[in-house]
Amino acid sequence: MIVTSRKMNPALQTLVALVLVALAVVGLIGRALAKKKSLGCGGDCGCSSRAIKTKARG
Amino acid sequence: MALPAHIAATPAGPASRQPVYALVGNPNCGKSTLFNALTGLKQKVGNYPGVTVEKKVGTAYSQHGQPITVIDLPGTYSLAARSPDEAVTRDVLLGRRTDTAQPDRILCIVDATNLERNLYLVHQILDLGRPVILVLNMMDLAARAGLEIRVDQLEKLLGIPVIACEAIHQRGLIELKLAMSRADLPLARHAWTIPAAIAPAVSEIAAALVEGDRKSPLVARAEALLLLTDQDSVRVAGSTPLSPRTAEILCAWQSRWTQTGTDWAGTLVSSRYDAIGALAAEVVQLRTEVGPSTSDKIDAIATHALWGWVVLGAVMTLLFFSIFTLAESPMNWIDGHVAALSDTIKAAMPPGDLRDLITDGAIGGVGGVLVFLPQILILFFFIGLLESTGYMARAAFIMDRLMSRVGLNGKSFIPMLSSYACAIPGIMATRTIEDPKDRLVTILVAPLMSCSARLPVYLLMIAALVPGERVPVFTKVGIMLFMYALGTVGAFFFAWLFKRTLLKGEPPLMIMELPPYRLPGFKDVALHMLERAWIFVRRAGTVILGISIILWFLSAYPKAPEGATPTAQLAQSFAGRAGHAIEPLIKPIGFDWQIGIGLISSFAAREVFVSTMGVVFNAEASEENTAPLRTALLSAKWPDGRALFTPLVCFTLMIFYVFAMQCMSTIAVVKRETNGWKWPMFQTLYMTGTAWILSFLVYQGGRALGF
Repeated sequence: MIVTSRKMNPALQTLVALVLVALAVVGLIGRALAKKKSLGCGGDCGCSSRAIKTKARG
Repeated sequence: MALPAHIAATPAGPASRQPVYALVGNPNCGKSTLFNALTGLKQKVGNYPGVTVEKKVGTAYSQHGQPITVIDLPGTYSLAARSPDEAVTRDVLLGRRTDTAQPDRILCIVDATNLERNLYLVHQILDLGRPVILVLNMMDLAARAGLEIRVDQLEKLLGIPVIACEAIHQRGLIELKLAMSRADLPLARHAWTIPAAIAPAVSEIAAALVEGDRKSPLVARAEALLLLTDQDSVRVAGSTPLSPRTAEILCAWQSRWTQTGTDWAGTLVSSRYDAIGALAAEVVQLRTEVGPSTSDKIDAIATHALWGWVVLGAVMTLLFFSIFTLAESPMNWIDGHVAALSDTIKAAMPPGDLRDLITDGAIGGVGGVLVFLPQILILFFFIGLLESTGYMARAAFIMDRLMSRVGLNGKSFIPMLSSYACAIPGIMATRTIEDPKDRLVTILVAPLMSCSARLPVYLLMIAALVPGERVPVFTKVGIMLFMYALGTVGAFFFAWLFKRTLLKGEPPLMIMELPPYRLPGFKDVALHMLERAWIFVRRAGTVILGISIILWFLSAYPKAPEGATPTAQLAQSFAGRAGHAIEPLIKPIGFDWQIGIGLISSFAAREVFVSTMGVVFNAEASEENTAPLRTALLSAKWPDGRALFTPLVCFTLMIFYVFAMQCMSTIAVVKRETNGWKWPMFQTLYMTGTAWILSFLVYQGGRALGF
């Protein structure tokens, strides 16, 4: 991938970078909106507020 | 004596539905440990009361592979709830919750070392007329304490399955699962004669509950008894109110008894204790007189008025000493590899935006935070050890003396201790506090305790403040201890202030159980530590990566004219403009616009400050070599050539982060717990305002003194 990247001209690099920035914005907004439903931390903090689903077999 | 006819029938549940067990018991009797053992989950456990404050649902499997739903409920000493977490347990068991079906069966777990006290809740639960399995946990500790419990006799007297168990060692689980799989689980033979003065009221209220509140006859009697002992002042989301007719009957009886001077609640409680005393006398024998237990001997020092503080100080010093010494090598290793990765990409790719995004944005931002992973692991290893051994409860006991002076009690300290890890579980743990005003005060001050997200900021600033190998590690430990102590003292000060102004109230009495010391469950500690590490890494790979990429864009656009220096580029970028916009506000506290960018971005989360510094100051790094962030900060300058990160600025920045409310997740949780925006807004303003004022005093005072 790095070898391929060597061939990237500055314009293409700018385009890919801006796409990545747009994806980051969309991702963070989506995350913020998803959290709004529970008004909690969304699990990032490690607190135990999320509903637990299990696949474990005892 | 037989149960009344209306509750003597086995409740009929839908045959197709998997059985639902509620797991209930006193605080710290091992419910969550048993829940984890049954379901294979990794619910947080700890050797102190109040770890679980919400119901948790998991699936266990019987010996035959049939699924069984298990609901782990917060611990309570009685169904007469006094705090929001206890109200959750009461409401689920009584079927008052609209969001949770009433459990078919109840798994009642008791601490075998304190059987008589634990039987009060069992006694109330048996009133519910549901099939109950009684689990005697910690049988090994009971035996060690010289207690002999006649399990067969208890089973005979109660008429329900009684399982001896050691949940932590997974002993007794097979017997328990076999009992849980039984289709014909018997109802309790136990019955209790309600005092004659109260009995007519119980019957009348129960009838009203059946008619007006659509309660099943099975539950109505138990609910009627509870309404007579429970002030029912605690309502939680999901609870359904009483019908006007039932409330009217209840009020009428209470007025009548008040006029005749009858202590109805006291009569009911005493009568219940008499029945429990008789039961316990038949099944518990003190086989051997044992002297003071090991826990008692340790507590003679650990909770001593003077030595207790010395032990607490030593534990905290050891924690921070370990953070600085043990973590140094892995930290340098990560730092080196992050820099090497960045350099490799710089060497492999031609200059351009994508290369800058990857190296300055993604790697600079995420790497700057990831480098603190070893310290985070050590912090959570120690917190896990303290929780697992039972020392956390002693810390609360010691702090109670101090906290009573500010109008709070030790029960508030458990949420505050939890806030050292993260304010969010700390704020949720305030649900164990009975008094709403005390709870609110604790919520308001809990985020002042230095959470793990502040740790990277402190570590970065300490590295910049006292660079070099020759500085004794104890200097760094001392600074770190000071920051943690400052947050704690700040929390106490504001609690004192709020209790005397906004939220006046009587100083509460603390009643807290000190659990026996136990050898740490290293598996649980390691799992908890790894779970936290994963959360930290996941957060770095998602939120911080996203913010770093956006921040790179904001610091790289709009583009400066060709040939502009990196500083000039940053200055005229979107981020630079935002930093410049707030510079007049932060210049008096010694911060420039570049630090301002970090302050703005870290409103999302405190550790984002570090990744932001990574992005901002990597712009200053050379084209070919990436300097560690600490080195980059030390070479940062004001336009007039003065060093930006002087020791005074680093110290001021730490003071700012001790007090500033910079965590959106915490604000959201405070909003949820206080049911509105008023208190989170107030909290943000008072904390950030205090941060600015103290930073101003420290910076200007330091300058006046020649620092």
